Formats: sequence, C-alpha cells, structure tokens
Amino acid sequence: MTVQPTIRNEISTPRILAFIGVVAVVFAVFILRLFVLQVLQGNEWLAKAAENSTQEINIAAQRGLIYDRNGVILARNVASYNVVVKAADLPDDPGATQEIFRQLSALIGVPVNRNEISPENPYVPCVSDHGIAQIAEYAETSTPYQPVRIVCDIDERVAKVIREKKLDWPGIDVEIQPIREYPTGSVTASMIGFLGPVPAALEDYYVERGLVPNRDKVGYAGLELQYQDLLAGRNGLRVVQVDVAGQELRNIAPPIPPRPGNSIRLTIDTRLQQAALEILVDEINDWNAYFNEMRYSSGVVIAMNPKTGEILAMVSYPTYENNRMARFIPAYYYNQLVNDPTNPLLNHAVGDVLPAGSVFKLVTSVGALNEGVVTPDQVISTPPKLEVTERYYANDPGQAREFVDWNKAGFGHQDFVHGLANSSNVYFYKLGGGYKDEVPNGGLGICRLGTYARALGYGQAPGIGLPDEEDGLVPDPTWKRINQAESWSSGDTYIASVGQGYVLATPIQVLLSAATIANDGKLMQPTLLREVLDNEGNVIPIWRTPEGDLVEQPTPGSVQVSPFQPIAKWDLTTDPVIQEYGETTIRGCEPIPGKMKTVAPWVFQKIKEGMRLAVTEGTLAKIFAGETISAAGKTGTAEYCDKYANALNRCIPGNWPSHAWTVAFAPLENPEIAVVAYVYNGTEGSTVAGPIVRRVLETYFELKNIDTAPPVQ
Amino acid sequence: MKAQNFISTWRHFDFWLLGAVVLLVIFGITMIRSAVAENIELVELNLVQRQAIFAIGGLVLMFIVSAIDYRLWASISRPLYIITVVLLGALTIAGAALFGSARWFDTGVILIQPSEIAKIVLILVLADFFTRNMSKIHNLSFVALSFGFAMLIVVPILLQPNLSTSIVMMVLWFALLWASGLRIRHLLMFIGAGILAPIVAFPFLVDYQQRRILNFLFPDPNARHGDIYNIQQALISIGSGGLLGQGYGQGTQVQLRFLKVRWSDFIFSAMSHEFGFIGVLLVLLVLLFVILRCLRAARLASDTFGALIAYGVATMITFQAMVNIGVNLNLMPATGLTLPFVSYGGSSLLSSLIGIGLVESVVLRHRALDF
Repeated sequence: MTVQPTIRNEISTPRILAFIGVVAVVFAVFILRLFVLQVLQGNEWLAKAAENSTQEINIAAQRGLIYDRNGVILARNVASYNVVVKAADLPDDPGATQEIFRQLSALIGVPVNRNEISPENPYVPCVSDHGIAQIAEYAETSTPYQPVRIVCDIDERVAKVIREKKLDWPGIDVEIQPIREYPTGSVTASMIGFLGPVPAALEDYYVERGLVPNRDKVGYAGLELQYQDLLAGRNGLRVVQVDVAGQELRNIAPPIPPRPGNSIRLTIDTRLQQAALEILVDEINDWNAYFNEMRYSSGVVIAMNPKTGEILAMVSYPTYENNRMARFIPAYYYNQLVNDPTNPLLNHAVGDVLPAGSVFKLVTSVGALNEGVVTPDQVISTPPKLEVTERYYANDPGQAREFVDWNKAGFGHQDFVHGLANSSNVYFYKLGGGYKDEVPNGGLGICRLGTYARALGYGQAPGIGLPDEEDGLVPDPTWKRINQAESWSSGDTYIASVGQGYVLATPIQVLLSAATIANDGKLMQPTLLREVLDNEGNVIPIWRTPEGDLVEQPTPGSVQVSPFQPIAKWDLTTDPVIQEYGETTIRGCEPIPGKMKTVAPWVFQKIKEGMRLAVTEGTLAKIFAGETISAAGKTGTAEYCDKYANALNRCIPGNWPSHAWTVAFAPLENPEIAVVAYVYNGTEGSTVAGPIVRRVLETYFELKNIDTAPPVQ
Repeated sequence: MKAQNFISTWRHFDFWLLGAVVLLVIFGITMIRSAVAENIELVELNLVQRQAIFAIGGLVLMFIVSAIDYRLWASISRPLYIITVVLLGALTIAGAALFGSARWFDTGVILIQPSEIAKIVLILVLADFFTRNMSKIHNLSFVALSFGFAMLIVVPILLQPNLSTSIVMMVLWFALLWASGLRIRHLLMFIGAGILAPIVAFPFLVDYQQRRILNFLFPDPNARHGDIYNIQQALISIGSGGLLGQGYGQGTQVQLRFLKVRWSDFIFSAMSHEFGFIGVLLVLLVLLFVILRCLRAARLASDTFGALIAYGVATMITFQAMVNIGVNLNLMPATGLTLPFVSYGGSSLLSSLIGIGLVESVVLRHRALDF
C-alpha cells in the first residue's frame, strides 16, 4: 500500500488518541488541583481574601488633661499642623499638579524636587528630606488613599492658608496632630513626667489596650506613666472594606467610637510649687556664689498638709524640660540627662534613698519615750563623745569605739526636749543603744527602733502614686547578716539611732515621719491625686484596689481616691501597729506574735514641744529668728559616702561630706503644713536646708492670706 | 445545482463546535465586564465593547474562512510561507529599531499582533509541508529539515522578543510532526532533548523571564509585589471561590482589584473566584468539548492536509489553555499566554476564531465525493 497523503487522510487514529490521552491527564490534574484549592482549602483562602480587603482603622482617643488643685493646667493637648498629600486626589493633569506643587513650595519652603526616595535614602515622615514631587510619587505608588506627610509642625497661619486653598489644591491637606504641652514645664516635670512612643519591649501590652505603635504615645515617667490607662482613654475602632489601593469603601462592622481619657486634678498648688523651686534654686545659687564653686547641685522640697496627706508641692531639682520631649525625644538631650550625675530624670523626692541623719532622731524619740527608755524629764549627761564597747554578740569582749557629737563642746546635761532641740547625738546614742546605768538594758535597741521607724512611714514606699517610689531601708540584724555577711553590732544600733549607718530614707518618708508627729500620731496616706474628671469636667468616683489598680466600682479592700477624702493609714494612738520583740537579738529580731501596741498621745506632744524648742532655742533658732508662724522643726546633717564623694577622697572618717536636711511644720497648735528640704552635699542641715523650709512655710501662709482675703471692692 | 451543492456542503457545518465557541466568547465578554467594572481607567478603554467588536468581526472572519476551501491554502502555501518569513523578519528589525519591541503592529485602526496571525500561517504551511513529505518522516534528516523550516518563522518572533508565542509555535511543529508519524525512537530523543533544552537555554533568557522561572521554582514567601504577588493573589482568588463562587460581580478579589490582569492572563482566576468550582468545571468541559470537536474534524478530514490543519488548531487551543490554566493554578511559571476565546485580547481572539474557521472548512468538505 502506497502512502497517498494528498488524497486520503493518513493520520493514524492512535496518535490522535494519544493526544487526547495527554489532554485528559492534564485536565484531570487541573480539576483535581481546583478541587483541592476551592473545596478542600476553600476556607483558608477565603480568610486570606477577607484579610486582603479588610482593614481595621484605629481612631485615636483624646488624652486627658492634668490640672493642679486650683484648676491650673499642667498638661494639655495642642494642635500641631502637618501638610499631607493624598495622591489619589491630585489632578490627573501633570501640569496642574506641578503648578500646585510650585505654589505649595513657595508657601512651606519645601522644594518641588529634591533627593529621590530610594532604599538608601528612605522616606521617614517628618524626618527625611525630600522634595514635594518625590513624596507625592512615593504616596502614589505606596498608599494613594492615605495622607502622606510632606512637612510637619508648620505655623498655624500657614496651615490656615493651605486649608483655604483646599478647593484649588485637590490632594493637598492639613492634618492636625495632637501634641502634649506642659504649660508649667520644668517646674512640674519631675512630677508630671513626659510621653514617648510605645516602647518596643511593651508593644504587646499596649497593643492589647488598643494603642497603635508609632502613632499613640504613652507615659514614660511621672504621673503620665502612673495614670497612663486613666489618661489615655480607649481608642475607637472601625472595620472597613478597602480596595487594593487602600481606599475605604464601607464599614463592615458598626464602628466603636473612641472613649476620651479622664482628666486628673492634683493636690499640687502650682504657686507654692513654683515658689518652692525658686527658693531651693535661690538658696543653692547663693551658697554656690558664696563658696565660688558648684558645691550644691541638687535638692528636694516637699510640702504637704499633715492632716489630709495632700501634697502641695514637690520639687526635685535639677529636673528636665518635658516640653522638649513633646514631639519626639531628642537623643542628645536624653543622653545628656541620663549621663548627668545629678540624675535629673529621677524624682528625688520619692526615688532617692539617702541617709536621713538627725531627722531620724524623731523615730528614736517616739520609741524611747513610748517604751519608757527615758522619761521626758530625765536629765542625761551629754559629753562631746561617748566611748562604748562595741560587741558583735552577747559575750563578745568587744573593742572600745568612740561615738562623737556634732557639737565638739558637747551639751553638758540634757533633758528630752533640749536633747531633741539641740539634736544632741550623745543623747540619742544613749537612748538608742543604752549606756551603763544611765540608760539601762541596752536602750531602745535596733528591733524596737525598726518597728517605730516603720510606724512613722520609713522602710516602705508611701504609695503616693509615682512610678519611681523607693522603699528606703530600716535595717535589722537579719538584714545585715544576709546583705553584709556580718553580725549586728552594738555600734550599729548607736549609729542607727541618729539616722546614720544602714538607715536609708527618701525625702517623702522624712516628711511623713514629721507630719505624723504633727498630726498626733495619725499617718495620713500621702497623695498627689485629688480628683478624676470625665471629659466634660465632672468628678467621677474612682477606687484603688489593694493591688493599686484604679477602678470605677468599689471592690473589697479598695479605697476611694476620687473625689478626694483624707485616708489615715493608721493612728498610732489607737491602732496597735507597734510590734513587741523578745529580749534577745542573737537570731535577729524576734517579734512576739500578736503582741502589738499603740503609742501614748503625750509622746507626740512632748516631741512637738522639743521640735518647737529647736525653732525657738535650738538648732533652727538662728534661721527662724523672728518667725511668726509658730513653726516646729528638726534638722539633719547626714554624712554620706557615694561614688562621687569617694572620687573626691572624702570617704575617710571625720572627713565625710554630708547632706542637709530640715523638716518642719506649722502652726504648732494646729499644723496645716509640713515641709521638708534636702540638699545633696548640703554641709549642714540648719544653715542650708533650714532657710528653704522657713521660706516655703512663709510662702504657704502668704498664699493662704491671699486666698482667704476678702475680695477687693 | 450550485445552490444544492452549497446546501449539501453546509449540511456538515459543525454547529456544536460553533455553539461551544460562541458560548465561551460570550462568557469571556461577561467575565471581562465583571473584571473591569470597578476600574475607571479600564472602563474608559471600553474593553468590553472592544472585545465584543472583535468577537463579531472574528465570527464573520470565521464564516469567511470556513467558506473558503482549505485546499486553497495548500496551493498558495509556498508564497504564503515566503511572504510571512520576509514580513516577520522586516517587521522585527524595523520594530526593534523604531519602537524597541515589535510585538504590536499598528494598522492605523486597530493594533494587530503579527505573531498571532503567524501561528495560523505556521499551521497551514507546516500542514502542507508534512502532507507533501509524509513518506520521508522516518528520516531524521527530514525531521531536522522540518525544524529549520519552522524556525524561519519562529526566530523573528523569538527576537521580538515573544518567548511564549515562540514556544506555542515549537509545540505546533512538534505536534504536527507527531501526528504525521514521527518514529517513537525519535520521539524519545526529543523527550531527552526537551528535558535538556530548558537547562541549556536558561542563561540566554531575558532577566524578567529568568526571574519568573526562579520565582516559580523557589518562591520567596515574603514577597509583597511582583510575580509572586500576582500568583499569590490568583491562588487566593481561586481558593476563595469555593464550591459555588462569590457570585458574578461580587468577588472582592476581582471587584477590589487585588487580582492583577484579571481581564486577560488571570481571567481564569477571576471566574474561579466568582463562579466557584462548579462554574469553572462547566467552562473546562466546554473548552474540552471544543478541543474534541476539532480533533473530530481531524478524524473526519478527507485528506491529510485537512486533518493536520484541524489537529494543529486543536493543539494551538489546547496548549494555550493548558499553559494559561497551569499558570493560574501555580503549576507552571508565569507566562503571557491567554485563555483562548475567554481572555481579553483582540488578536488572540481573532486567531482562535480563524482557527475554528479552518476547522469548519475542513469539516464542511470532509465528504467531497458525496453524490
């Protein structure tokens, strides 16, 4: 058979069938693949499709404001204006767009063309330097329906001009961004704190609370941090459908509107705060000018109402300017603050633990009188120095050690009020550690000293409502064994009795001890918070749980903190908070379970008498000469040795530098103001800290006169 | 007599094939309408209207081509071949010199892709070539000769550069070679060469072509844009279609434009998204039916030339459809081949309909000796 392809169909059927076979296999694979994708995995892909077209838009809630007790604004939000471009709204005609760019450029000073945006030179809103056309092109290709910032923080007048041009300049708009502003700036910075971007380490925590990193700001320090949740409110949420260019099409779910943050009113009186800062700085500068060197660098002044616990002023100096952190935290400024040896970022009033020195004698006084170690009238010899045998355990033969008085001449013989008024070290050594038959049985002892110290507010953070509060330290033998690997010696007790050695306290604790005495044994809960306000300015009730959370409904164990009501932590004359101890301290302090007692009311009267005598005749007499406010006070000159003193070779006995302390209250009969002043390296309590306290006390009464004076007709 | 002859000829017209093709074309236009609905720029370009005009023009051309006795093409096959080679060569050189690429030829009224027309010409001249030389098919040197014969048309297109159409043409050559009786021994050789060729050819590919292949073989799961992004969106579109689809004009992937080139290269994904597994299965079956009807024409053809034409057209449609669907389903690297009859694209639609016209012409005359 010859092949005749031109007149017969010579294509063999098996070859066509083979072709059909291949097609069948391929189509079977396709159908199988479709079945897997669409039927078996359909829901997974459906979720991805939904993810594509669904966008959650977080609506920022307005942050609450901070007021002082008189309604003066301490923190508020101000508008800042950014020029933005929405590329999708720009005219289609490139010529018209260029014309808009040219006119805008003339107004805002950003050139039309500069610095192409590239991976090496990326667009960073508000920071990177690019021309308008480059930013518009970037917006066009990345997010045409989202506003992209051309320039940030422009003048309000320019912003208004651009807004008026909105019709002529489609695609160009002004975005209003809230910026935190602190009208009182550095006067209140250590208390108010500042805001910063959501930190990476806490991103999950804040995102869970509905905040948006890189947009929302959170408290970094002070009350802005302490009351972050209260002030921030709750951001709103819209779930919208978007197309591929990001244009919003419709709400998928009902939108949740943002809940504005609550405002808070503080107990602070800004006028007193301002005055206290100026007085502190004035004294420090005067002394530095006198010595012709920067001898004094930092200090603290706190004023509170001892009857209510309201903090009226809290100055920690030096501090920082929180308005400089408003837009972003400048790295050079922040580094400068962090590296500053005076640590301006710390609120020293609650966060610096220091040797308290003689102001701690108030604790020894309460303990010794209440325990009957001495009677108030008992006269004790107070030579220039005390030589006792220092023992580390009961039968230790011991070594003789000298304990000197600050007054090299000594005080001869003193009864209690004079001992306190003159701040005789020897008198209080004997009260704290005992001395022969004069003060038998080892005096008050470290264990009982400790319980009285804690009863007066030492050794625990006062819970004033600031993030950097410290506990301080009330030492005992067990603490020393654990931390110093050494037994408690009798000498340690002597030293602790005058607030030296291991005793450490924050300025607020010193103030609390004096305020408790002024208030006849009632330790008031100190607070900065007076009221919580909703966004319409109405006071809303707020409770604080034992864990420290703020809640809007009372829970078991919670206390109401808004509106303000004085809370007594305890009244020493009625609440048994003084622990009784067994005789021995060999195995540390041994509290006798259930044996608690109160303090006799006369003890506080006697101490107030001694503190008044300090002002009239004693350590503060010179400083308070001519005062008419009936003040009572106590000085402290606390020797210290820290790394800066060590660097100056001052850490040798007899040459230690000292901090200056003075705490006082007035009037004696019905105290309404208590003030503590502390100056780092302040040489002497009375001369450096004393004048500060006096001037702040007097300013308080001047302000009170202004407030209560009948209005001028 | 003449009228009776006319009727007896048209009696064999394959209305099933015509019906299936018209169904696919109408479905394609409907799908394009959904795909461009939300895109103002594309609506302004009147893609739907243009495709409809091309479809009508294409159907008219199809009837004209089926009316012409296909054997005419055999008689003018040599001048047809020479003119095509010369024109393509000239066009490629001129186009490259003038526009940088010669994929499009502006007739003044519409843009024509010469490569689409060249596919039809290649089917005709190769069918004629193999019919004439069927007795030499066992000879490997003849196989080589036929390769060279085809390459004269393929090379200018490869240089345009248009790799995907070139591959279609090589497949056409090979398919016709197979149908004409390529020896199994030689087939195995070709399979071996077919495996080696891509590896050898890879370094000569243009940058974007290399990237597409690499992306297919080693996908970067973090890619947000580019080829992977398109393929990913295609898979999302197909998968989220589910059993019954999102509904016509309702699919978020299509309507909100997450799916790219959804009116052309990825129209298969778009219809999978909106019509689901059931809908797409029906379309696949119709497409399969068209292919089988073309192969039926090849079986019925009264001579080898006609059979090879019908077979060539079937190959063209099948291969393009398989590659297009394969890309959509991420079974193959991305290429620019459209889905025959369905995808937007005038030239492609025209060449497919002309191909169907040729098949109808073959079917019409399969019993020329019928009295």
